[in-house]
Amino acid sequence: MTKRRKWTAIPGLLALAVGAVMLSAYSGASSSQNYSPEQPIHFPHTVHVQKLGMNCLYCHNAANKSMDPGLPAVSTCMGCHKLIGPDRPANDLHDNKPYHSTEIEKLYKFADVKSMGMDMGPNAKPIPWNRLHKLPEYVHFPHTRHINAGVTCQTCHGQIQKMQQVYQYASLNMGWCISCHVNGYSAQEGEEAAGYAAQQQGAGASPAAVTTASTERKKARYDCANCHY
Amino acid sequence: MSQDTPKSGVKRREFLKVLGASSAAIAAAGCAREPSGKLMPYLVSPDETVPGVSNYYATTCRECAASCGLIAETRDGRVIKLEGNPEHPLNRGAICVRGQAGVQGLYNPDRFRGPLARDGNTWKEITWNDALTRLSQAVAAARGKQSVFLNQHESGSFSTFLDAWLASFGFAPHLSVDFEANAATIEANRRTYGVAWPGLSFQDAKLIISFGADFLDSWGASVAHQLDFADARAKLDGAPRMVYIGPRRSLTGLNADEWIACKPGGELVIANALAGKATISQAAAESGADAAALQRLASELASSKPVLALAGTTGPDALEVALAVAAINQGGGAVGVTIKPAEAITAFEGMARPDQVLTAVEQMRSGAVGILFVRGVNPVHSLPKAANVADAIKKVGIKVSFSSYPDETTELCDLIIPDLHALESWGDAEPVKGTLSLQQPGMDPVFPTIGGSTGDALITVAKKDAAVGAKYPAADYRTWFISNFAGGAQALAAALPKGVVAGTLPARTVPAAAPMAAKPAPASQGDFFLITYPSVSLGDGRGANKPWLQELPDPVTKVCWTSWVEVHPETAQRLGVDRGDIVEVKTANGSVKAPVFVYMGVHKDAIAMPLGWGHRAAAPVPTFNPMKHKITDLQWGYGRYARDLSVNPLDLLPVATDGAGDVVLTVTKASVSKTGDNMILPSNEGSARQHGRGIAQAVTVDELNHPQEREKEELPGDASHAFLPGLRSPVAADAQGELGAPTAADHGTYKGLYDPNDPRGMTKRRWAMTVDLARCTGCSACVTACYAENNIPTVGAFWQNATYWADQKPGFNIARGREMNWIRLERYFEGNLDGKFGVDFEARFVPMLCQHCGNAPCEPVCPVYATYHSPDGLNVQVYNRCVGTRYCSNNCPYKVRYFNWFGYGEPDRKQYAFPEPLDWQLNPDVTVRGKGVMEKCSFCVQRIREAENRAALEHRDVKVDEFTTACAQACPSRAITFGDAADPNWSVAQLAKDRRAYHVFEELNTYTAVVYLRKVNHPAAGAAAPAAN
Repeated sequence: MTKRRKWTAIPGLLALAVGAVMLSAYSGASSSQNYSPEQPIHFPHTVHVQKLGMNCLYCHNAANKSMDPGLPAVSTCMGCHKLIGPDRPANDLHDNKPYHSTEIEKLYKFADVKSMGMDMGPNAKPIPWNRLHKLPEYVHFPHTRHINAGVTCQTCHGQIQKMQQVYQYASLNMGWCISCHVNGYSAQEGEEAAGYAAQQQGAGASPAAVTTASTERKKARYDCANCHY
Repeated sequence: MSQDTPKSGVKRREFLKVLGASSAAIAAAGCAREPSGKLMPYLVSPDETVPGVSNYYATTCRECAASCGLIAETRDGRVIKLEGNPEHPLNRGAICVRGQAGVQGLYNPDRFRGPLARDGNTWKEITWNDALTRLSQAVAAARGKQSVFLNQHESGSFSTFLDAWLASFGFAPHLSVDFEANAATIEANRRTYGVAWPGLSFQDAKLIISFGADFLDSWGASVAHQLDFADARAKLDGAPRMVYIGPRRSLTGLNADEWIACKPGGELVIANALAGKATISQAAAESGADAAALQRLASELASSKPVLALAGTTGPDALEVALAVAAINQGGGAVGVTIKPAEAITAFEGMARPDQVLTAVEQMRSGAVGILFVRGVNPVHSLPKAANVADAIKKVGIKVSFSSYPDETTELCDLIIPDLHALESWGDAEPVKGTLSLQQPGMDPVFPTIGGSTGDALITVAKKDAAVGAKYPAADYRTWFISNFAGGAQALAAALPKGVVAGTLPARTVPAAAPMAAKPAPASQGDFFLITYPSVSLGDGRGANKPWLQELPDPVTKVCWTSWVEVHPETAQRLGVDRGDIVEVKTANGSVKAPVFVYMGVHKDAIAMPLGWGHRAAAPVPTFNPMKHKITDLQWGYGRYARDLSVNPLDLLPVATDGAGDVVLTVTKASVSKTGDNMILPSNEGSARQHGRGIAQAVTVDELNHPQEREKEELPGDASHAFLPGLRSPVAADAQGELGAPTAADHGTYKGLYDPNDPRGMTKRRWAMTVDLARCTGCSACVTACYAENNIPTVGAFWQNATYWADQKPGFNIARGREMNWIRLERYFEGNLDGKFGVDFEARFVPMLCQHCGNAPCEPVCPVYATYHSPDGLNVQVYNRCVGTRYCSNNCPYKVRYFNWFGYGEPDRKQYAFPEPLDWQLNPDVTVRGKGVMEKCSFCVQRIREAENRAALEHRDVKVDEFTTACAQACPSRAITFGDAADPNWSVAQLAKDRRAYHVFEELNTYTAVVYLRKVNHPAAGAAAPAAN
């Protein structure tokens, strides 16, 4: 009997182990934080945002008025790049040396543009960007509410203006969302997250400009039906 | 014990191996990142669109002849929902079941994806240009021969365009066909008032008498009539009494205060008696109606002016009935008051009579017709089988179909050039005199392989002929339409945002039709009169390919996914049949088998069957299998949802027409015999009786005006009004931050989430709803609106049952209680409890949805906190928390929680409810639920959040009555009101204080957020009042 009892314990233990594995697999504790896929065009946010100072909303133009932030249409890219072709004259972006951009070349291929100054061709194709940030479909995240409440983009997306290749900065797990809704969020925190404070300090700006941002923490609703419906 | 040998083939070691391998696989799967897919940007952003924000386009509905106004909600280039256009004079923002399902016609998975040409017994996909070349050749070959063009009747300039096109090739004008329209009524209106359909005012009437005129079902412009009828009923005290005369109590009949049952064909003598051309006793004797009731009605008629009498019978004497009823109206002071020829509904002008179609069929049979065009009409299904339309069509030289769907008539054609859907094309309509309703595309064509609308195709064909082409300088129909629009492009652009504009269209010059002669039916043998009637949801059958309409329980019988035979209870007893027993109905023309529905609203000498079902393919089609289906497979027989579903009672009817040329749908005699088979009728109805539960309450006008002091709790659910609304319930009030628990250690000072100053504490809101049962007619538009808004899957198709050991029967899931209607329309019968099944019974309709209880029984029993009470008063279901224990459903006294049994939202399952492109309709704001979760009405929380987001974006509060739920928006009776009951400025807060207000099951202390207002009955003076409650 003892022998038999010893054996019967094993399936039970194994079942427990399997259960634990399954629970952890389905618990949602997994995250794609730090996911950083290669993109079809190595789009440099560093150049566009950091060096040229473009506002995020120039391309992601629905972020302040829709659930959906919006992705720039190919024509939006070509709005500027019609006149900024692959072969670049010397400018301050690249140490005042002329250079050739293979990435703009790729853009021209997608837009079916043969040479600088031409309009998009008939065989233009959308750029198949690899998606990073994806919430499950049972979560409804309104970008508009957050942007209009003064949450800076970088709070959730990280300092994209400094990323050579964009990666998923935050875990985007529910606990991460809730922590902000419960503990609140201040404008100062937002500026710090955006990296503007450090930048301004580095540029020799008056420290007062940084500290005028309010430290009052605004909290938000967090009952389930805010996001899950 | 050691001698035990394992019985299973799996040894311990293998078992461990399998276990290890599977857990490793699970672990690996758990660690892998969920694929997040691609983000595809636009090439060029469309103007005036913001991704994720809807655009709204005003357009015109083409689901029936009435041409109501629509607002098409378009999100990211796809139409996702249809709502009524508030500017439109006919439907004033409301919309019916069929109008809403138009979007399932647009995205129908069985829609033709491009032109097809017959190649022997098979079909060949051809290009758009090839199709037009073939059409051009066909037209050239048929020139000089006789042609027939059967077009779906739609008001607008397309009909004049089409006539001109046909004339330029020497063809006869087209026949504008609507088999559902009551030609006798139209003919009588024309003779009496000079218009096809005068404006009807129910509000101005003192007495409404309907002779089988089902103005809430499919007779006339039902939404317009219903809006006005509900307004009339909402007057309570001064509301008109309504009497329904006919052999079958339809949905309209159930809304009448009194039903006078007569034999089919008995309406004429009653109408004559009421008009003073016959005696009451003669009428009673000939029609089988109750003499006392008729006498009472006659004296009521004499004292109630103005009257509104309507005729809509479908017997051989339909025209005579309609003319006799016109005489009642004239005597009753109706003309100009309740019947307004000056405000005519012009949408019914220019319609061909069915006998003209029958004449055309005979011409085809004689071989004289060189070319047949069909667009949006299906005569093979919609005319009696005895007319043998299919054989006649086969004798035509060239048959061209412009149909979008693989219907019975199109299957016989040689060339199919599918038309664009109304939501993809341009047009106009003149719904009422002096007002144009514009039709504009809500989106680009779903299938780009369809190169244009029929108008575009005809213009291209015209251009291929040098002589004709000169008349068509316009490049396409849109250009033609704009150049013919009064005021041109500029005026059109100015009018389009509203969708309606003052104006008239040139009347169609229809040549004088051949003289009509009623074609009487041959004498028929049988025990019962067979009554057939267009189904409320499917119409004459054109709605059958839309799963929303199949899934919608019929408002009268509550049966879905099948046809039925209505049999009076006494007759059923005599025949020895009961609900669900399959009987064979036989006439000289054929026989069909269908299940019995025992219904006390049908005359003892009659049986009744709805039209709409029984679509059949001419050639055999393999049984539909979603797992093996290829999109190139043509689903002949009107698509996967309609084919071989139940029976078409037109198979039983002879070809007979009345004096107005309409096909006779009643009065044929049939015999009924038991087959011994039976089936469970798919229905979402639990019981047709209330069993004293007080769910649907009613009062008479007298009781309302002289309320009797009742003892408290005398009636279930009838608590004192001081208690109303239960919107101030403990939990709800707590949500307003007014209560802490006084017994708590901190003496109630800590209010937590419910503290109004707590940043987590919500807005001081209590979302609530009132449903006015005096207005509700039971039309079920709210149900379909809910399906459209909330991505509710339809579950009744035969392949959507369990994967193993399943019955492959349509509606089986519903028969097993797996229906998913978040809002259902309950229909209860009152009276007739004496077992005699007289005519004196009443129907009450109650829209039943999640009551969002303040003290919800479902919440405490959920082991995982998947359902809870939100601080703004919603009973919330969190799908991602739900593990599917179904305890909540067991504990819900209202039975409004529905379980997702088979993963209807998952594309790789055979039960998938949204086969491409039906999934294009899905509302992106609502989760598509997966398998194993509970779901239920959310009070359209996505609309609440959307309104809140919009208000926040505009830095303001949500405005009073700023938005409403999908059901309330659609309701053509304006019975449903939604809003914030905590703010007295909202309409709902005021309505909840009405003297008729009650909660369902108030005695359970559920403190519901839904307040019902009692129905008000108007019993005849001198008649015994029906029991209260």
